[in-house]
Amino acid sequence: MRLVAAELVDSREILPGQWLQAFHAPALASGSRAGQFIHVRAGDWSGLVLRRPFSFNTVDLGTGIITIHFRTVGRGTEWFTRLRAGDTLDMLGPLGRPFEVDPRSRHLLLVAGGLGIAGVRMLADEAIRDGRQVVLLFGAASARDVYPSSLLPDEVEYVVATDDGSLGHHGFVTDLVPGYEAWADQAFACGPAPMLRALARLATGRRERLGVAKLGRKKGGGKPIQIGSPLARRKAFLQVSMEQNMGCAVGACLGCVVMSVTGIPQRVCREGPVFASDEIAWESGW
Amino acid sequence: MKVRRRVVTSPDRATTRPPRTPTVRRTKSAIVSAGPPAPLAPRPTATRPTSRPDGSHPDGRDRNRDRAVDLSVDLAPGRGGFVLANPILVASGTFGYGIEYGDVVDVERLGAICCKGTTLKPRVGNVTPRVTETPAGMLNSIGLQNPGVDAVIQKYAPLWQRWQTPVIVNVAGESIADYTEVARRLDGVPGVAAIELNISCPNVGKGGLQFAIDADAAGAVTAAVRRVTDLPLLVKLSPNVADVRPIARAIEDAGADALTAINTLSGIAVAADRRRPLLGNVFGGVSGPAIKPIALRIVYEVCQVVDIPVVAIGGVTELADVLDFLAVGAVAVQVGTAVFADPTLPVRLVGELAAAAVAAGHDSYTPFIGTALPRHPGTPSAKGVEYRP
Repeated sequence: MRLVAAELVDSREILPGQWLQAFHAPALASGSRAGQFIHVRAGDWSGLVLRRPFSFNTVDLGTGIITIHFRTVGRGTEWFTRLRAGDTLDMLGPLGRPFEVDPRSRHLLLVAGGLGIAGVRMLADEAIRDGRQVVLLFGAASARDVYPSSLLPDEVEYVVATDDGSLGHHGFVTDLVPGYEAWADQAFACGPAPMLRALARLATGRRERLGVAKLGRKKGGGKPIQIGSPLARRKAFLQVSMEQNMGCAVGACLGCVVMSVTGIPQRVCREGPVFASDEIAWESGW
Repeated sequence: MKVRRRVVTSPDRATTRPPRTPTVRRTKSAIVSAGPPAPLAPRPTATRPTSRPDGSHPDGRDRNRDRAVDLSVDLAPGRGGFVLANPILVASGTFGYGIEYGDVVDVERLGAICCKGTTLKPRVGNVTPRVTETPAGMLNSIGLQNPGVDAVIQKYAPLWQRWQTPVIVNVAGESIADYTEVARRLDGVPGVAAIELNISCPNVGKGGLQFAIDADAAGAVTAAVRRVTDLPLLVKLSPNVADVRPIARAIEDAGADALTAINTLSGIAVAADRRRPLLGNVFGGVSGPAIKPIALRIVYEVCQVVDIPVVAIGGVTELADVLDFLAVGAVAVQVGTAVFADPTLPVRLVGELAAAAVAAGHDSYTPFIGTALPRHPGTPSAKGVEYRP
């Protein structure tokens, strides 16, 4: 975790109301992994008292450039869109725990709903670099919100679903998942809570049918896998990147919690944002 | 390597040895200090602090700079003393248990740390969302999520013991028995320097708030805790009352060593997309720069009616805010919400306060305290009646 002054090098609106900004921040880039995030201070301190969390969208280790992808939802994000190249921002990161890919997983299924693409985008880069095959299922409200394929690596198989049927599958992105479930070794998802909940249900069903979650464990031996550990995520079929309103982003304020199956709320900023789907109490109503 | 070892194991010989012709080996061995280190000469008072007014350098050398001005403050002058190295504290709930910010913040340079509200039993807290930003502030309703006092003692106290910086454990509860039991368990635990009673958490359904809005109840809980512990006792006042002065007086009479003012103000936010209350708990506590005028007013009022030290809290974001709170009578300030935006702010404020004292020609920051209080405390304030019919 570091406090870094990052210089904006590029800022553009890639979709209506959605922005991609690139910052020069080698100190953040070097330690980052897919699924982690940064906490960025908005400059207008008097009105905006909280930092804004953003997932690492892409990280270029060679140039030290990191990108973030966000939608303008309020005064903070609007302030970010008014930045010009050369402006510097105060960033805290890398924060949170990353996605854990099992070394034996060859086929990765990424599922993104809307802006959730920002959460799994970097994982696609990492997986391709490691020689894995990646399918990205993307769901959006309509064609105008679909993430441009030009911003994805060529190796990614990109499948789109839109709620209104204006592009790709007509329906939810979760409808596409059963077609890839048998192919995938592991799945990684980021998006709205209902989407993640539906995926978690599918993953539970898969485990019951195939016993896939136990694939890597030796029979009858070994230590039990501790909830919240990197191993728990690595062994899980589905890992989800969660979102919550955040205060400090280091685990001090306990503002951003999700309920876990142990009954103890887990901090999205510290124990997350990536959780194994079976760690989360989806039906708790939190 | 050989040379280094010889010098360390026999320092006396190294010092008494007659001078030799300088060689490469000789110059190397001179780096290792032979014998006990000589005490550092006291730094000149005026020159050092002005040389780096921002005080942001994380290097340990800066500590000497802070010492040039006496920033120490006693929060329990009535009973043995509870002396902090400087009057900048971090507020409960914004700094976790002191470890969360890791290397980003040097906790050893803070005056004290108020840890997350601690209750007798573990609490899971409120349903999410728990925080949201509001105009010039934020709204939170964590609901006192914490692992319980026993877990806090077991997990964090050994760590706190190793720090120079005292840790003030913020204690919350739903009944007087809760408070006294937590205080009893904290009493004598190494690493626990003091107790701050949170009798006014607005985010728990029952109990908590009632102590702070009633002078008798506030006095009763303070007295009960006072009876079971010798730890310095701070009590945090709630702003959600018509007149805070009788409550402050009752707490002082019950034996509190210091007062903390203020806790968050009760508020709600509406989710723009759902047209429903945004927070899972509906009600939350407002903090941040938005509440600073209110905090100033309450500190101003309280400082005129009590003799114990008052620690101010509410919207401190820069040195000017610290000086404002000192002017209305506070002896120390806590930084809360601003830590989220700028974790290094409290440490920086320590240096800035020292520099401000030097710039004003003081060797201590105490001349800043109480300058805005009325000259003649006996006369009723004409301004007081304007906002309180």
